[in-house]
Amino acid sequence: MTVTATPSRTAALVRPVRTRRRPDVVRSRVAAWVAVGVIGLFGLAPIYWLLVTAFTPDEKAFSFPPSLIPTEITLEHFVNLAKNEKLFGYLVNSVVVSLITAVLSVIVSAYMAYAFSKFRYRGRTSLMHLVLASQMFPQALLLITLYALFSATGLLGAYTALILSFTTFTLPLCVWMLKGIFDTVPSSLMEAAAIDGASRWRTLHQVALPLSAPGLVAAGLFAFVRAWNDFIFALTLADPERQTLPPGLVHTYLGEFQTAWPDLMAASFVVSLPVIAAFMFLQRYLVGGLTAGAVKG
Amino acid sequence: MPPMNRRDVLRLLGLSTLGVTALSACAPDATGGGTARPSGDAAAKTFGFTSWSLNEEAQKAAVQAIVDAYASARKVTINTASFPYNEYLNQVTLKIRGGRLSGAVQLDVAWLAALASLGKLRDLSAHAAQGGYTEVGLSSGQFGGKQLGLPWTTGSIGLIANTEILEKAGVSELPGTIEEFEAALNKVAKLGDGVVPYAAATKAAQLKDILPWMKTFGSPLLDGDQITVGDDASVAAVEWYKKLYDAKLIAPDVDRFDARALFAQGKAAFYDDAIIARGVVAGQSPDKSLTEKMKPLARPVLSAGGTPQALLWGHVIVVVEGEGADAAADFAKFATSDTATVAGFFEKVKLPPTTTAGLGDPKVAGDAFTTEWTEKITKTAAPNPFWRYAGYAQIETAIAEQVQAVLVGQASAKDALAKAAETAKGLQK
Repeated sequence: MTVTATPSRTAALVRPVRTRRRPDVVRSRVAAWVAVGVIGLFGLAPIYWLLVTAFTPDEKAFSFPPSLIPTEITLEHFVNLAKNEKLFGYLVNSVVVSLITAVLSVIVSAYMAYAFSKFRYRGRTSLMHLVLASQMFPQALLLITLYALFSATGLLGAYTALILSFTTFTLPLCVWMLKGIFDTVPSSLMEAAAIDGASRWRTLHQVALPLSAPGLVAAGLFAFVRAWNDFIFALTLADPERQTLPPGLVHTYLGEFQTAWPDLMAASFVVSLPVIAAFMFLQRYLVGGLTAGAVKG
Repeated sequence: MPPMNRRDVLRLLGLSTLGVTALSACAPDATGGGTARPSGDAAAKTFGFTSWSLNEEAQKAAVQAIVDAYASARKVTINTASFPYNEYLNQVTLKIRGGRLSGAVQLDVAWLAALASLGKLRDLSAHAAQGGYTEVGLSSGQFGGKQLGLPWTTGSIGLIANTEILEKAGVSELPGTIEEFEAALNKVAKLGDGVVPYAAATKAAQLKDILPWMKTFGSPLLDGDQITVGDDASVAAVEWYKKLYDAKLIAPDVDRFDARALFAQGKAAFYDDAIIARGVVAGQSPDKSLTEKMKPLARPVLSAGGTPQALLWGHVIVVVEGEGADAAADFAKFATSDTATVAGFFEKVKLPPTTTAGLGDPKVAGDAFTTEWTEKITKTAAPNPFWRYAGYAQIETAIAEQVQAVLVGQASAKDALAKAAETAKGLQK
């Protein structure tokens, strides 16, 4: 007679034996969850408060003591935002300036980083350090200098002034980020391409750049966000009709005596959506790009 | 990144120094050289008008109406520009120094000295003599013996009371002396229900509000060029403030924004603000009749018969030399002294005019709150004596930080103010 085990019996047989967890393991897990909870709360609380304020009617937004859970909700501030054509103009300016800054930063920094990574020449280290040092200049000094420079060249007020100024402070980090990535591309691949008859130009464009795509995306995203968030350069160097969202929001909602907090919060939430979307869409490239070159194989 | 040895570090430092030097060489100098200078025909019919009010919801339509009225009546072209209030002085300074801004410019009275130091403001004494301005108004536009600004609105930072709370607490009359003020605060404190008797500034950002109290106790703040903060009177003022703080008659962590919110919610009996507060607070309050309960009062004095102290507040219009400066000066006079214009402006934005005729216009004189404010507070208001220094904001901050240290019990008033005075002396430029 053969005995055949039913599926339930088999499952019962293979069920892992439960062991009692040691108290110190439990404690450390609880501590980890508490830590994650506290950090999460710390990070999400401002976003929660922004949203609550954006949906709260003006007279309730200033209630004292403030209420964590809104008792009344309104869409009026989002409607105000939709009706504000000037803000749409600032949004267009932000998109144009940030996109061009990102593309320009990636193009220029890719060539610079490749030259630093794959060529050996006199003064290379000094040049690399000079690029790094330029990151250390105080913004106020750069602003005054760029103002004078653009004023003298007639570029003040134009998109060009904004794009060039943003690129000056995105380039150093982009270059160093991409240099690290090019360092991880094996030189043997370049040599193989050269043996196959590829020129240096072709090797760069058909071998090195495709392999560094995540890094290029990460650098581009960094430059985009940096340009998107800048306030003081955009306020100072651009004409009112070419200013970007940060000065635009300040112009629109902050006054000598009053700040339209609920309207400002609604606008801040809406204008941060493109950046959030970009991060979500490009997340997989971003993680790879930022960590590439961190460990040399 | 390759590891850096000592030679690399030195090279990096050298390159940084070289870079900074090169950048500094390109930057405009302190006198405004290095870039284009204001030029053009001063008598031209095109000029600029720069104003933060042109971009603020509550005022922009009213200001634009003045610009349009003048432009069409005098057949001139006015190019308007605006910067946010908090960035305004930096932007205007940079643009004047860069030679890219001329014409009429709206200024906060506190900024006049900082802009005057650029040496590009026109003396408007001749226009001021014809405008019929009040003495206190004229004083707000004077610097270095010249009339550099025509007063557009003149008010003051003063005390406002919520008469409903005072009635509930059994305070029938507004206090006139420090003693009466303290008694009123103690009565309000007994109401409980989270009511702050006096929503005074206790955050460093707004603790410059202590300065009029120091003057109330007898400190001149500045005697010639000698800073008197730290004298017996200013120490007594801060010790009194600390006493209110310890007795919970004033609350911790309050700035102007918090004070307005408290007052708007009916949770403060007194607070300090400018005359424009009426509209701001009303907009934040669920109590639609709050403005009727608001009453301006002169700052209580040390003993009966004393002069109430208040900080002058207001806006002036200055003229920066350059294209259209003559027309800009005429515009400044029109905007600030044409009676129909200033009365119409008051009707829309509730900012008090600066001319005797303007204040006497029925539209203005019929407004009891404004009339009371002008009579009780603005009449004896004086500019902050530190405004004459370009670094006045840092001086105020130095004092505010030390007063805050006293409030939280980190220092005695005497030591803290001596330290504040020492810091402030280094900023007298």
